[in-house]
Amino acid sequence: MAKPVVEKRYTLSERIYLVEILKGMVLTWRHFIFNFRASFRPGPHTVPTCWQYPEDRREISPIFRGEHMLLLDEQGRELCVGCGMCAKACPAQCITVKMAKVPEGEEGRYAGKTCSQSFNIDLLRCIFCGFCEETCPKGAIVLGQGYELARYTPEECQLGKERLISNFRDAKAKGTLKPPRKPVPVAGEAAKEAEEKGSKAKGTRTGPATARKAAPPKA
Amino acid sequence: MNDWVIAIIKVVFIWVWTLLVAVVMTWVERRGAAMIQDRLGPNRAGPFGLFQPLADGIKLFTKEDIIPANANRILFILGPILFSLPAFSAYAVVPFGDKIVIAGKEIILQVSDVNVGFLYVVALGSMAVYGVIVGGWASNNKFSILGGLRSTAQLISYEVPWGLALLAAALVYGTFSLREISIAQQGTFLGFLPNWGIFRQPLGFLLFIVAAYAEANRVPFDLPEAESEIVAGYHTEYGSMRLGLYLFGEYVNLCTLSALMVTLYFGSWHLPYLNMEAFLGPISYGIASFLVFFLKVSFFLWLFVWVRWTVPRFRYDQVMGLGWKSLIPLALANLFVTALAIQLTV
Repeated sequence: MAKPVVEKRYTLSERIYLVEILKGMVLTWRHFIFNFRASFRPGPHTVPTCWQYPEDRREISPIFRGEHMLLLDEQGRELCVGCGMCAKACPAQCITVKMAKVPEGEEGRYAGKTCSQSFNIDLLRCIFCGFCEETCPKGAIVLGQGYELARYTPEECQLGKERLISNFRDAKAKGTLKPPRKPVPVAGEAAKEAEEKGSKAKGTRTGPATARKAAPPKA
Repeated sequence: MNDWVIAIIKVVFIWVWTLLVAVVMTWVERRGAAMIQDRLGPNRAGPFGLFQPLADGIKLFTKEDIIPANANRILFILGPILFSLPAFSAYAVVPFGDKIVIAGKEIILQVSDVNVGFLYVVALGSMAVYGVIVGGWASNNKFSILGGLRSTAQLISYEVPWGLALLAAALVYGTFSLREISIAQQGTFLGFLPNWGIFRQPLGFLLFIVAAYAEANRVPFDLPEAESEIVAGYHTEYGSMRLGLYLFGEYVNLCTLSALMVTLYFGSWHLPYLNMEAFLGPISYGIASFLVFFLKVSFFLWLFVWVRWTVPRFRYDQVMGLGWKSLIPLALANLFVTALAIQLTV
């Protein structure tokens, strides 16, 4: 049923505009004075609705998905084994991993038996979905809190291994490091999986298939 | 010879001053708008963002100057000039202070005291519409021509109440010279009010200010450039400094209209209940009268900004209805009552 149209009857003071305009001007004046005073107060974040960006940054949610990093364990060894699961899971196909055996004499640098010879993320293609983080069997890749990713050349937007690891060191120094996030199963699937687990005593499946079906966690 | 030098100095002074005010007004408009809307506005260029107009100017000057292929080139170039010239010229007859005595020579703070100053301002005010309609026509763009047409219709409609309100004021003062009108506003009215035009012509002032907003194409009557309907109206096709001239001309127009409002209705350079001439020296009196005048003008300039960010745009039929069905009858009634009162008291 269509909504009935009600013709509003305007009062005399509304019809001659002036009173209403003056009321409106009082309202805007109050806003003006409030913000005018606030803008003179010292400190960066004085007008409540305005974030003066470079000086004044908002707090980022702990589950924010920003610039990637490759984790090291406590002994400073690379966790990544170069399996390439992240590259397979990536819907934007922005990750390139080359697996290699750990070279002899460098066992101290890597946690696994194999390692990634090269690891490249093309930030121009990345959609920051976080599937790589969810799918990684070693929990070696994490999307961090960095969001200032603008660069002058496309080459600078390639995340190499060095920058990935230095991102990790920076995050650790700043204390913004967080453990890799794992997929949150959808309700039905979780029940099924629990059943499977109970009957067959099998470990939970991990990998791209689950990751793709997983519901996005609540922000 | 000396008179020539003084005249030139006055012309240059008021020209530079108006330019400066228009430049600062672009900043005031943006910061004021931001503050009213709970933002901060441009605050990076210089202290409080005061150099923002400079940055804008550099931007406008260095941008590519595009003339559309099917535009009428001559008229397209002429448009912004036609728009901004009358705005500047109108200031010539507005007194911006009383007088200043330097080395025994009395200098009137007004470029020229024309005895038909009033008519001159009205005539030039109507000239500004040519800039709008010519620019809109020459652009060869449907939005531009719509903006130009709207502007023409609006200006013709509001010129009538404007003229009628001014006529009533002319009846009260019995002169067309703006300087004589200013001088006549000294002292008190009815014993306790300042002898300002607004107390003699309250309705006249109201009509004048509403019509002035329409003349200046300002919100709530900015239909010639209504963004949400016709992109940018008559200056849709304009860019670089040609657009700058249009925007600039608008602010100069605001200055002129505010100055006119102050001269006619707010006692020009007079302070209420205070005769500055009696206790100030000849030079300081000249400066003080200019400052008082400018203070009042700046209030009305701010009022333009304030109203712009308070009142939404009228619909086109509402604009026309307000002009023809409310303002013109009111202006006629005002004129009639004023004439009657003068006839009975004289």
